[in-house]
Amino acid sequence: MKLIEALQIANAAPQGPPFHALLACGFTPLHLETAVKAHLRLSLPARSIVVRTGLYGDLAGTLERQRERLDAALVVLEWGDLDPRLAWRSAGKVNGDVVSDARARLKRIETGIATLAEKTRVGLSLPALPLPPVFHTPGSELNRLESALWELLYGLAASTRAVVLHTETLCQGSRHDLRTELMNGFPYQFAHADALAAGFVGMIVPVPPKKGLITDLDGTLWSGVLGDDGPNGISWDVEHKTQFHGLYQHLLNLLAEAGILLGVASKNDAGRVHQALARPDLVVNPQRLFPIEAHWRPKPESVERILESWNVGADSVVFVDDSRLELEQVRTAFPAIECQEFRRDDASFLVKLRDRFGKREVREEDALRVASIRGAQKMRRTVADGESLETLLAGAEARVRFRWGKEPPDGRALELVNKTNQFNLNGIRYSEADWNVFLSDPTTHLLVVEYEDRFGKLGKIAVLGGRERDGGFELEIWVMSCRAFSRRIEHQCLKMLLSRWDPVRFQWKRGERNGPMLDFLTEMTPDWQAVRQAEFSRRCPPLFHETECTGA
Amino acid sequence: MKQSAQVPDTQQRLIGCFRAVFPELRDSETVRASASSLAAWDSVATVSLAAAVEEEFGIQFDPEEIENLNSFQSCLNLLANR
Repeated sequence: MKLIEALQIANAAPQGPPFHALLACGFTPLHLETAVKAHLRLSLPARSIVVRTGLYGDLAGTLERQRERLDAALVVLEWGDLDPRLAWRSAGKVNGDVVSDARARLKRIETGIATLAEKTRVGLSLPALPLPPVFHTPGSELNRLESALWELLYGLAASTRAVVLHTETLCQGSRHDLRTELMNGFPYQFAHADALAAGFVGMIVPVPPKKGLITDLDGTLWSGVLGDDGPNGISWDVEHKTQFHGLYQHLLNLLAEAGILLGVASKNDAGRVHQALARPDLVVNPQRLFPIEAHWRPKPESVERILESWNVGADSVVFVDDSRLELEQVRTAFPAIECQEFRRDDASFLVKLRDRFGKREVREEDALRVASIRGAQKMRRTVADGESLETLLAGAEARVRFRWGKEPPDGRALELVNKTNQFNLNGIRYSEADWNVFLSDPTTHLLVVEYEDRFGKLGKIAVLGGRERDGGFELEIWVMSCRAFSRRIEHQCLKMLLSRWDPVRFQWKRGERNGPMLDFLTEMTPDWQAVRQAEFSRRCPPLFHETECTGA
Repeated sequence: MKQSAQVPDTQQRLIGCFRAVFPELRDSETVRASASSLAAWDSVATVSLAAAVEEEFGIQFDPEEIENLNSFQSCLNLLANR
């Protein structure tokens, strides 16, 4: 983004409820403030962006003085915040005490960040500018004091409650603008300010990561053509100079551990594929690959079946293939899918692929995802084999666990609220600050629901929230993972609410993808507004779950 | 002929810079805008305007030139003298 464009976006008339961000830095925020406003506006078009800044040269004080509610805080650390003698504008003679001074200042900053992080998301960037020539050593050598300062900074990065921006991955060009730093106290080239702002905003309003990856086999998962070379002729190792495919398999394992779904779409003989995937030296765990579509029909057919099996939209999936023709076929059939050409020996291919699925935290539910999808397919097959749904559910040995309460805060609850599309009452997403406001409101109630049956454990799959009103309950939040469909868990949830309040009212809103939620409301209440105990009892199908309820 | 074609182009591009910094300005007001007539024209606006003009025209102002950026006309004159 250029400065003029950023100014136009940042200065456009505000609309919507305010989003308060703190930009804390020790230099004049100037164009960085403009860039942050512009990127926030682009990411949050329905909010009015308010960016607060602090006093020049007093980063720690800026953090300590924050009393009002913030939706996000961005802390931009530069050398001058460790000691003014390390800033170009105020460079001075440096000796050994610079490290102890820096330690004391960083301690204050760390404490300020910790206090803010209790209430809102905080992003932190470490110094991105070169040090002024304050040491005798030539710039090609790392000075002992500089090493000690970096040690302090990395110590802060390892212990802070803020999310730390990897500054090295930002703008690769020159970052420093000494002319403007000396003239008005703003030290960055605009390109760096823009990249820094984009990085921070990506942290605060992250693009939802992809949920699944569909991979080709020949020339992708391994080197060689299975049909020609046979299961023992394909390779992914050092000996055959095909190790890049082994690295790709290693990455797939890493993604699977984080709950990413891995499917295979290959034009191959199914029997040979199973022989190849049974090789003991395979790097990727074959149990992670599900479903495996190996046949001679067009790739888009395979992709369609995989998406159906996963029950996710094409926009949540990346398709990887070495054939441009097949990439184009899949792209044409599913315009929303992200198609990636497999680029052998290109490190950036693996790094960017990892980033499409990047997660800050891996939860228990992530590990359960593939197993639960396999379980769901087993369940569907059982029904297809003639067993009625009633008989199946009656014999499923299902257990639903309800946990009422807001303490300790459950990160999985917010994750479910912000990523569930289909069974979602109104599609409202919450920032961490919004969520904290909801949780800290004494009139609100929160229910987290866990499920397991003989087909497997699903973990925490539903969240309900709202408040008592006029003797009933006003439901503001209701989301349920699509993995939990067809088990009547939603009926059990409503039953639980109606055992406490009567009626239950719904703050529903039609969205692009919440048809399953609205279908359920239609089933329970024709006007979609409220349901009473008596009406629910008439409409609810038989429920077979064993239930357990804890919390207030 | 060449010069007369360049002047309106420079003026239009400068209007674009002013509109980015002072979005409330109407086109007819922009050419008459000055630090004394515009409440929003403070020191931060001056620095933003200078940076926007530098970016748009690929130039760098000296500190003294930035101090003299106090009206649309003065900006236009500075650009004409380069």
